[in-house]
Amino acid sequence: MTTILGLIIIVCILLVIFYVARTVELTKELKGEADDTESASNAQGYLMFGFLIAFFIGIAWSSVHFLPMMLPAPSSVHGIEIEKLFNMTLFFTGIVFVVTHIVLFWFVFRYREKKGAKAYYFSHSNMLELLWTAIPAVVMLVLVVKGLVTWLSIFPDTKTLAKDTMVIEVTAQQFKWNIRYPGVDKDFGSRKIDTAHIGIATPDFWWKNELGIDWSDKASHDDFFADTLYLVKNKPVLMKLGALDVLHSFYLPHFRVKMDCVPGVPTTFYFIPNETTVEKRKLLSQLPEWQKINPLTGLQRYATFNFELACAELCGRSHYTMQKYVVVVEQAEYDEWVKAHIPIYVGIEKAKNAASAKLNGTEMNISNDSTMVIVDSMTKSRTDSKEVAVI
Amino acid sequence: MATEEVVNLHAEAHHDAHDEHHAETFLTKYIFSQDHKMIAKQFLYTGMFWAIVGAFLSLLFRLQLGWPDTAFPFLETILGKWAEGGKISNDFYYALVTMHGTILVFFVLTAGLSGTFSNLLIPYQVGARDMASGFINMLSYWFFVSSGVVMFCSFFVHTGPASGGWTAYPPINGMRDIAINKGSGLGLDLWIISMALFIVSVLLGGLNYVATILNLRTKGMTMWRMPLTIWAFLFTAILGILSFPALLAAVVLMSFDRLAGTSFYLSDIVVNGQLLSHHGGSPILFQHLFWFLGHPEVYIIIVPAFGLVSEVLSVHARKPIFGYRAMVFSLMAITVLAFLVWAHHMFVTGMNPFAGSIFVLFTLIIAVPSAVKVFNWITTIWRGNLRLNPAMLFAIGFVSMFISGGLTGIFLGNSAIDIPLHDTYFIVAHFHIVMGVAAFFGMFAGVYHWFPKMFGRHMNDAIGYIHFYGTLIGAYAIFFPMHFMTGIPRRYARFDSFEFANNFAGLNKFISIVAMIVFVLQLMFVINVVYSSLRGRRMKSINPYGATTLEWTTPVEHFHGNWPGEIPEVHRWPYDYAINGKEYITQITPLSEDEVSHS
Ligand code: HEM
Ligand SMILES: [Cu+2]
Ligand SMILES: [Cu+2]
Repeated sequence: MTTILGLIIIVCILLVIFYVARTVELTKELKGEADDTESASNAQGYLMFGFLIAFFIGIAWSSVHFLPMMLPAPSSVHGIEIEKLFNMTLFFTGIVFVVTHIVLFWFVFRYREKKGAKAYYFSHSNMLELLWTAIPAVVMLVLVVKGLVTWLSIFPDTKTLAKDTMVIEVTAQQFKWNIRYPGVDKDFGSRKIDTAHIGIATPDFWWKNELGIDWSDKASHDDFFADTLYLVKNKPVLMKLGALDVLHSFYLPHFRVKMDCVPGVPTTFYFIPNETTVEKRKLLSQLPEWQKINPLTGLQRYATFNFELACAELCGRSHYTMQKYVVVVEQAEYDEWVKAHIPIYVGIEKAKNAASAKLNGTEMNISNDSTMVIVDSMTKSRTDSKEVAVI
Repeated sequence: MATEEVVNLHAEAHHDAHDEHHAETFLTKYIFSQDHKMIAKQFLYTGMFWAIVGAFLSLLFRLQLGWPDTAFPFLETILGKWAEGGKISNDFYYALVTMHGTILVFFVLTAGLSGTFSNLLIPYQVGARDMASGFINMLSYWFFVSSGVVMFCSFFVHTGPASGGWTAYPPINGMRDIAINKGSGLGLDLWIISMALFIVSVLLGGLNYVATILNLRTKGMTMWRMPLTIWAFLFTAILGILSFPALLAAVVLMSFDRLAGTSFYLSDIVVNGQLLSHHGGSPILFQHLFWFLGHPEVYIIIVPAFGLVSEVLSVHARKPIFGYRAMVFSLMAITVLAFLVWAHHMFVTGMNPFAGSIFVLFTLIIAVPSAVKVFNWITTIWRGNLRLNPAMLFAIGFVSMFISGGLTGIFLGNSAIDIPLHDTYFIVAHFHIVMGVAAFFGMFAGVYHWFPKMFGRHMNDAIGYIHFYGTLIGAYAIFFPMHFMTGIPRRYARFDSFEFANNFAGLNKFISIVAMIVFVLQLMFVINVVYSSLRGRRMKSINPYGATTLEWTTPVEHFHGNWPGEIPEVHRWPYDYAINGKEYITQITPLSEDEVSHS
C-alpha cells in the first residue's frame, strides 16, 4: 500500500515538474525568446558558483564530522610509513583539487555568456603545455620514488629476515580462518597436498585434515590451532597465507596489512606490530569519539576496542562474516598463551581415545559442527574470545 | 542493378537519388536498420533501458546497506524466494552487485556510450554517407541485443544470476558448484555466453569505426582536421579491438575449467574436506587476462566522454579547444599506457614486488596525460563566452568529476598506499566518480548537445537544469563521503560482524536515500528524451549552436546518405571560433585569400 502511495506521489511530482517545464518552454517560444540563451547562462553562472561554495562547505563539514570515525592511526611499523605517504599524496592532490575547482567554477561564473561579448581566440601554447606536462611529471616522479622505497621495504626478501621473526600460518576457507602456530619448537610440520593426507587425519577417525598436515613429520606434533591471532609487540611476524577453496584476502585494517589468500599459490606478508592491544585502548581513551558509550556493551568504546582480522576478497555468500580478533601482547604473556594450547596432534589422539571408549564400536554420525566443537575445545577458543572482548 | 550494388558497397559514391530502389519497410527502417543514425538511436534506447535496470539493482542493494535489519515486504512481492520475509538473501545481494557492475560497465557505459555516439558522429563528422559496412554495423547492434537478452534471462534461472563479482574471478567463479556460490551455476554459464556475444559486438563495431575513420573521410578531411570526438572514437575502438579478445580468452578458458575439468585457473582446491583433481593452474592468471582487458576497458568508457566533452566545451565556449594537438597526443599516450598498467589492480595478490614497481611507475605516469587534458579543458573556457545550457553544464560537471576521481587514482596507483585501500570503499569512491559518474556526465552532455541532430527537436531545458544540479549534487553526496569509509571492505552485505567497520550506519542510510532521489531524476531525463523526441521544440535552423563541424551541414530530416547532394569538402580544422572577426567559421568554408590554415 505504502509502495503504491509512494509511486503515485513520485508520478505526481514528475507530472507537475513536467507541466511547469512545458509552460516555461511554451511561453519562451511565444515571446520569441527560445533562442535567447543569455539570461539562462547568467543565472547558471551564479548557480554554478554557488555550487562550488556549497561543495567546499560540504567537504569541510564532512571532514570534521567523519574523520574521528575513521580507522585509528596504524599500529604497525610499515603502517606508519604508508600513512606518511598517504598524507604526502593528500597534500599534493589536495592542492590540485582545490585550485582546479576554484579556477574551473570561477571561469564558469566570470565568462558566462553576455550579449556582445567576444570569446578570445587562444588555440594553443607550447609553453603552457610544457609547463603542465612537466610539473605533474615531476610530482609523479617524487611520489613514485617515495612510494617504491616504502613498497620495497614492506616486502623484504624472506630469506634475510631477522632470526627472531615469528611465523604464523593462516589458511582461509569459506567462511573461516585456520590459524596455525608452530608450537614450542617454532617449526611447522609440513603439509602434503594429496589425497593421502587431505580429508582424513589418521585412518578410521572422522576429523578432516583439510590442511593436509603430515603427521609423520614430528615437527607437526606440537603445532596448534588458535581462534585468535596473537602477536607480540615489536616482534616481526611473517604471515604464511593460503586458501583452500576460493580467493580470500587476509586483511588487518589496524595494521594496514592486506594480502590475498590464493588456492595453490602461497603468499606471505611480513610486518611488525608496534602497540599492544592494551596500549592502543589507552591511546584511544583520549579521543572523544572513543569515549562514547557503545549501546551494545554499555561500556565506553575504547574499553572494548580490539584489533580485527577481516576478509577483503569476495569469497561467497558469507564473505562479510569472516571475523577474528587479533591481540598484541608482550612476550611473556604470549609465552603463557602458547603454553595453554593443546597441540592438534595431542588433541586428536585424546579425542580419538575418548570417542572410541565412549562409542565402543557403534557406528555414529558426527556432524561437522561437533567436529568444530572438539577442535575448538582443543584450542581454548571460546575462552580466548571472551577474554579478548573484556580484558 | 549492377550499379545499385556498387553504390551500396561504396557509400562515397552514393549521391544521386536512388531512393525509389530502397523501398524501406518498417523492419528495415527501424529494426534491422543499416543506417548509422538509426543504429545510434537503437544503441541509445537500449543503453537507457539497461541503465534503468542496472540503477534499479543498485537501489535494491542500497536498501540492504542502508537498513540491514529492516524487512521490506514489497521485496518479497517482487523478488519471491530471493527476499524471503522481505529481506534480501546474501546470495541475491551478491547477484545484485555483480549484475549491477556488469550491466553498467559493459552494457551502459561501453555499448550505450560508445555505440550511440560513434555511430551517430563518425559518418557525420568525417563526411561519409554511412559506416564502412552498414551490415556489420547492424550485426554489432544485434549481437549487443542478444548478449543483453541472455544476460536478462540469467535473472530467471533457478540458482540465480552470476554472483561472484563483475570481475568474475576464479576459483569462486571457476567451479560450477552452486554449494560454493549459487550464482556460479547456470547463471554464470549465461554470463559467459552473454559476454562472448558482447565481445563480438564490440569487435564488429570497433573494426567498422576504425575502417570508417581511416578510409571514408571526405575530401580535405585530413587526420589533423578531425574533431576530437573522432580521435576519441578512433582510440576507443583501437583499445577495444586489442583488449576485448583477452577477456574472451579468459572466459573461454574458464568455461573449460568449469565444464571440462581442465585446470587453467585451479589448483590444490579443497572443498568439504575433499581434494579436487584440478592441479597446476593459477587463479592469478585469470586476473592478468581479465585486467589486461579491464584496465583498457575503463578507458574505453571514459575516452568517448573525453571526446564529447572536448567538443561541447569548445562549441559552447565559442572558442577553439585549447591545445588540440596536445589533446590528441595525450589521448594517444593514454591509449598506449592503458595497456601497461593492468596489474595495479593486483598489487596484493602476492605478485613479485619488483613487477609491482613497474606497474606503479606506468600507473602514475598515466596521470600526466590525464592532467594535461584537464588543464586544457579549463583553459578552453578561459575568456570564452560560455553558453551555459544543460549540455555545457554537464561537460563542466564532467571536468569536476574527472578531477575528483582522477586524483584518488594517484593514491591507489602507489602500491604501498594501495595495500590498505584495495577492495575498500575508497576504491568504490574512486571508480564511481572517475568512471561511473564522469562517463555518465559525458554521455548526458552528448545527448543534450546532439539531441537536435538525432531527432530534429530540442530537449526541455528546464528539466535539463533540474536534472543537472540534482545529479551533480546527488552524485557527490553519494560518492564523496565514501572516501571517509577508507578501510571499510567493499562487497560486504552488512558491516556488523566487525567493530572497525560498523561506524557508518548513518552515512549508509544517507547514501541510500540520495541514491533513490538521483534515480528518480534519471527517470526524468529518460522521460525528457522520449517526450522531446516526439513533441519537443522543433529545430529552426540546421546549425542551432553555430558549430563548425560537418554534422551541422546536413538537413534536419534524416535520410540515408546524410547529404542530399555532394558531400561537402573540408577546408579547415574544426575549431575556428572567434577568429577573423567572426563568431565561427564552418569547416566547409574555404580559406580566405590571406588566411593561413591552422592545420
Ligand atoms: C589518474 C589516473 C588513474 C589512476 C592512477 C588510477 C588508479 C587505479 C588503481 C591503482 C586502481 C586499483 C585499486 C585497487 O583495486 O586496489 C583503480 C581502480 C579502478 N579504477 Fe582507476 N585510476 C585512474 C583513473 C581511472 C579512470 C580514468 C577510470 C575510468 C574511467 C578508472 C576506473 C577504475 C575502476 C573501474 C577501478 C576499480 C575496478 C574494480 O576493482 O572493480 N580509473 N584505479
Ligand atoms: Cu573470504
Ligand atoms: Cu586500472
